Amino acid sequence: MKIVVAVKVVADDQDIFVSGDRSLDYSKARQIISTYDTNAIEAAAQLAADNDGTVVAISASTTKADDTKVKKDILSRGIDELFMVADDSLETADSYATAQVLKGIVDANASDYDLILCGDGSADLYAGQVDVQLAAALDVPVINEVTGLKVEGDKVVVERTLEDEVEEIEVPLPAVISVSPNVATPRIPGMREILAAGKKPSSVEGLAGALETKVEVEDIKAPEMTPRKNEIFAEGDIDAFAAAVAEALK
Amino acid sequence: MADFDAIVIGAGCAGNVAAYTLASAGKAVLVVERGNYAGAKNMTGGRIYTHSLAKVFPDYQDAPLQRKITHERISLMSPDSNFTVDYSARELEEAGNESYSVLRGPFDQWLAEKAENAGAEYIYGIAVEDLIIENGKVSGIIAFGDEITADVVILADGVNSLLTSKAGLSKKAPAINQVAVGAKETIELPAEVIESRFLCNPGEGSSWLFAGDCSNGIVGGAFIYANQDSVSVGIVATMSEVLKQDIPVYQMLENFKQRPEIAPLIRDGKTVEYSGHVVPEGGLHMMPEIVGDGVLVAGDAAMLCMNLGYTVRGMDLAVASGQIAGEAAIKALDAGDTSKAGLAQYKTMLDNSFVMRDMKLYESAPEFLETSPMMFRGVPEMLRDIMTPLFKNNGEPRQHVMQIAMPVVKKMGLFKLAKFAMKAVKSL
Ligand SMILES: Cc1cc2nc3c(=O)[nH]c(=O)nc-3n(C[C@H](O)[C@H](O)[C@H](O)COP(=O)(O)OP(=O)(O)OC[C@H]3O[C@@H](n4cnc5c(N)ncnc54)[C@H](O)[C@@H]3O)c2cc1C
Repeated sequence: MKIVVAVKVVADDQDIFVSGDRSLDYSKARQIISTYDTNAIEAAAQLAADNDGTVVAISASTTKADDTKVKKDILSRGIDELFMVADDSLETADSYATAQVLKGIVDANASDYDLILCGDGSADLYAGQVDVQLAAALDVPVINEVTGLKVEGDKVVVERTLEDEVEEIEVPLPAVISVSPNVATPRIPGMREILAAGKKPSSVEGLAGALETKVEVEDIKAPEMTPRKNEIFAEGDIDAFAAAVAEALK
Repeated sequence: MADFDAIVIGAGCAGNVAAYTLASAGKAVLVVERGNYAGAKNMTGGRIYTHSLAKVFPDYQDAPLQRKITHERISLMSPDSNFTVDYSARELEEAGNESYSVLRGPFDQWLAEKAENAGAEYIYGIAVEDLIIENGKVSGIIAFGDEITADVVILADGVNSLLTSKAGLSKKAPAINQVAVGAKETIELPAEVIESRFLCNPGEGSSWLFAGDCSNGIVGGAFIYANQDSVSVGIVATMSEVLKQDIPVYQMLENFKQRPEIAPLIRDGKTVEYSGHVVPEGGLHMMPEIVGDGVLVAGDAAMLCMNLGYTVRGMDLAVASGQIAGEAAIKALDAGDTSKAGLAQYKTMLDNSFVMRDMKLYESAPEFLETSPMMFRGVPEMLRDIMTPLFKNNGEPRQHVMQIAMPVVKKMGLFKLAKFAMKAVKSL
């Protein structure tokens, strides 16, 4: 069984700062695997281990992602091979463009896939659209918000946890599935896994053609800070305080 | 056969340089660092003397050093006054003598990149938990159940080295008066603002050290280093003294920042980093065994750090001891003997270097600082009582300098002061 997992590499949000003009300063941010994709990677690795399969990671990123540490991090999590397209034009890529690039990677390197896993949404945009758009591009079925999955013959049986019940759905393969974070707890790679990652195959290519986007970005700004109201309540005046909190929550 | 020729624990100044030295000689080296990248967890005051760096990297000028230090300022602070000396000398700016302000994040990553380019392998994000010891010989490391073996292991895991005790090399835990704590903030300011506030040319900077009531009158000091686009402001105080006071360390730093002498230097700056760290203070007396069967200890892990009260110096010693440990390990590997006897030359080489010469020279400095609290409370006030009348003109009759100074000095005790001066000259 051949599993593909799509991995986005993003700036570490802990180190993104808001400048005075509300623009975002990425200059101190290191590149990391988008958080929810680590859950997808783990789900893919476990599925591959249970089904004698292989798992390759695919990534459409800017050239910043072409970083030994990030690539090693991906490959130390039970991934066999990494295919990355790294191009700075992807900085402004929307879900449509990203899905087209990912389709290109799949067609060229993993066209014999059985299953493609995606994370719940990316740490930066969180559009949650790439899975569906990729499935549309590949013309295969897609299902999202999956909380559990197992392979049965030529189909997967997935679980979706709804408010008061768990839905079980059979999906014929090949398919694209996006998983919720609680599908699997990401591993902490051990020393042996990290050492082995350095020796695994990985390839990085630029973008062949021009990027077609459907969404235009006007501007990216941090929300305006509302100044604190500095309402101070006299000590012991707990009722007034409670009333104010209740009012604010309305 | 072992997995690696050498494993280095810790990607600080000592570890990266040891790894670079080994990898450059074609040895298979693995570095394991608990931070997510080199420098992630490391702090320093802020100044590195580059003489030992230049010996390892002739191109050290390309390192992300901040500003060349051209102004040496030393201040003695009383609760309500500050006496400053500002010294500059062309000789201190010459190659070999010069020093730079430095931030560990970018600097340690540069060092790690050098080692990596020379062929060293790095594992980040993993803290080594234990050592594999076979028949008394250290033969590898353990973390999260994984074991990796090597012919020689170099411990460069910094001041709180747990691994030196696992290797049976450390003396008993340091006494509470043998460690100091440091707290530091990095505050961002535009380069031109820094240059005008600290009186420096572009690319040049200042080191400014304080002793006295900057940290609430206890044995310790404070520092400000001018970096390219930020300043490093911090305090250092002995643990035993900190515990006596009822204000926490961060509050001591906050109090220092709010002093009228300090506030204008950092006004409108943005704090971008806050860190705290232990400083080994006991000097030579605190050093562990630095050579064991299959194992060497370098840098702060070996307590190769000098706290002279007005300055802490450890990075140039860490760089040099890392290089020497690397060289000693190469010789032992080539000779096929990484036993304690095979590695023993590390100690000899270190003894013959400036590292141990300086450590021995300043052997009694920590003792001087602890037994002479006068430098921190007494001398700054004495200076105030001499200086203030010198500058004060309020219509009252003035006195001659000697008339002002002699009673003040007598009050301190001429004999006590002379003894203090002698002791200071002898130990610094
Ligand atoms: C407040 C303060 C001010 C100072 N000012 C100066 C100054 O101005 N000039 C100067 O020269 N020196 C100064 N020093 C001293 C200097 O910072 C140290 O001597 C120097 O950092 C020592 O380098 P090192 O490589 O030995 O240790 P470190 O820099 O501490 O590196 C140790 C590394 O080991 C890693 N590590 C630890 N345990 C493990 C483990 N179990 N597994 C894996 N990795 C591990 C750590 O994450 C770290 O990266 C100052 C120190 C302090 C605290």
